Amino acid sequence: MSLRFHWMFPKGGEVAMKTAQETSRVLTTKSTSPAALPDMEGWTHFARSAEQAGIESALLSFSRYEPDTMFVACAVGRATTKLKFIVAYRTGMHQPASFVQQINTLSALIGGRVALNIVAGSSTEEQHGYGDFLEHDERYARADEFLAVCNSFWQGGEVDFDGKYFCVERGKLLTPFLAPDRNAPEVYVSGHSEQAQQLALARGSCWVRLIDTPEKLRTSVAHFRERGVEVCLRLCVICRPRYAAAVESAEALLPTDDIGRQERGILARSDSQTLKQALAVADEVGWLNRNLWAGLVPFYGSSAITLLGTPEELAEIFLEYKRIGVTQFIISGWPKLQEMLIFGRDVLPLIRDAERH
Amino acid sequence: MSLRFHWMLPKGGEVSVGTPQTPQESARYRLQATSSTSPAPRPDMKGWTRFARSAEQAGIESVLISFSRYEPDPFMVGCALGQDTEKLKFIVAYRSGLIQPTTFVQQTNTLSALIGGRVALNIVAGSSKAEQHGYGDFLAHDERYARADEFLAVCNSFWQGGEEVDFDGKYYRIEKGKLHTPFLAPGRSAPEIYVSGHSEQAERLALARGSCLLRVADAPEKLQTQVARMRECGVEVCLRLCVLCRPTREEAIGVAESLLPERDIPRQERNVAAKDDSQMYRESSAANGRGGGWLTGTLWAGLVPYHGPVWTTLLGTPSDIAESLLEYSDIGVTQFIMSGWPELDEVSTFGREVLPLVRRAEEGNGKRDA
Repeated sequence: MSLRFHWMFPKGGEVAMKTAQETSRVLTTKSTSPAALPDMEGWTHFARSAEQAGIESALLSFSRYEPDTMFVACAVGRATTKLKFIVAYRTGMHQPASFVQQINTLSALIGGRVALNIVAGSSTEEQHGYGDFLEHDERYARADEFLAVCNSFWQGGEVDFDGKYFCVERGKLLTPFLAPDRNAPEVYVSGHSEQAQQLALARGSCWVRLIDTPEKLRTSVAHFRERGVEVCLRLCVICRPRYAAAVESAEALLPTDDIGRQERGILARSDSQTLKQALAVADEVGWLNRNLWAGLVPFYGSSAITLLGTPEELAEIFLEYKRIGVTQFIISGWPKLQEMLIFGRDVLPLIRDAERH
Repeated sequence: MSLRFHWMLPKGGEVSVGTPQTPQESARYRLQATSSTSPAPRPDMKGWTRFARSAEQAGIESVLISFSRYEPDPFMVGCALGQDTEKLKFIVAYRSGLIQPTTFVQQTNTLSALIGGRVALNIVAGSSKAEQHGYGDFLAHDERYARADEFLAVCNSFWQGGEEVDFDGKYYRIEKGKLHTPFLAPGRSAPEIYVSGHSEQAERLALARGSCLLRVADAPEKLQTQVARMRECGVEVCLRLCVLCRPTREEAIGVAESLLPERDIPRQERNVAAKDDSQMYRESSAANGRGGGWLTGTLWAGLVPYHGPVWTTLLGTPSDIAESLLEYSDIGVTQFIMSGWPELDEVSTFGREVLPLVRRAEEGNGKRDA
């Protein structure tokens, strides 16, 4: 099987931004940020470029600072033909039946090009604003029930469920999940906690986690693959003709002191285990190996662990992850569009070439 | 103010592209729309786009997209169809027990920003018990309204803007709620909210939280008091009805009567209506007892016992229909959501034959008032 490459979808206004700092969390969470508004022009441009670059899907992130992911996928999906949309959604906000109805409708409107990234929750503060007051562990218990009900709908027939968080009696939805080759969406479950892993194993098709060195990931990846669940790594990429140039580009992304301090404050308030781990790594080591740098995490968030190097180095590293059983990647870069074009032009052909031999 | 006319969005597969449909075929299609073999659950962009263009040409302001387990999600449909149209607005029906209000506002706002603000909401407290249970909602009729009231209170707080939303109710609790994507529309910062229902709770909800009460048409004299009460409180009234316009009254009646079901069906259909705990169903079925289903000289409820209250039909010649609509205008009704058999033909007839008469009379009245 060929490796599958997805890219982070840019936030509103991001495609036109000139500097990486403009895309920092501090600025995109301000109420005046263009991230709050749909950006059909930028998005359509990005989506068509992604299709040309050989990217399979775009991941649309969910937060109170951005437009709703499902509707963005609907609008951009109607304007594209190949690109798929991995739609992030949190599980405490819908009854599962109406959630399935939305997803199924979306699938039918955009030729089945939709997958789910199920997130149990975010910071306590943000969850409270969404009316969700469960604690971290309970959110996972609820997410498990949520996906159990969703999966029952996708399996077809009448749904009956009597759980702690959801109860459904003779549930029935006539609009099916419509895709050329599937009758249910792929379900990506994100998170580093024990509960997230269990949820991915029990209800998901793929576990999404942050990149780490192949040695560190080997055991857990094997564990998932044995149980029929794929593993997808989140990372950033900086690809330059020479290693030194890549390092230089990476270090140039370190923001000014002030933004850095605010960024740190936002991240520290989260009760996400993924974030805590990533921050610890950034503080303790910085470099995970010669090509993997966590130095940007305190400023751009946990998913900013960056793989950097030449096209040849990067291609070889992706293939090394493939050898330990990783099958998918969700990538980001600065700027998102330009780095994706470099990846599609310089790195992907090397990987595809190697996969053919 | 000119009367505002909206139309029901046909269900999937209802607008048979290229093939003419008889009123009888159209009625049969709609009756079978909840069967698992109906095309209604599938989005039908080709048929819908065609209908939407005809509706725009006919002078229709919005389409109502209904919500049920038998159909695609109306929000998603509004999003897709909004991309392919320019003027038409979408009144999206949604039930309040299915989603957290914060998320609901985020979805509505996103949709508004994607389609130039052409979205309004039709908030429904619930449907039949069986359907609500299938959606995970086990509240009884009255409690559903109490919850809908809290739901809309939270939504309205988000739309009023301000930094943060705090709410501590029986059904919802929000702490420092904040959404950055605003409701974006020319001239509005919140959607129009249509509240449907015939119960006292529905009326109270419309008064407290809505911009318009949506109810099934009845004789003007029956509606007069309620309409006046709503209008005094600054809430509009919109009537749901079917329209059947023909060159002669006899032809219109002939077509309407041809839609009565064959002999075996009535009992079964009546059972469907009786099982429901919606007051709209109970009331309208009772209405049929009056004068063989004729509520006025042009308003016929003969199909209601079989197919439900929304089959209340205004029928006659273009001028009969225009006059009846203007009578409603006289008592303070401002909007109508209509439907016909088939939708496409009837909306075109309405735009061509009826609407010009209504607009001409409104102009005349305007001059007279001046």
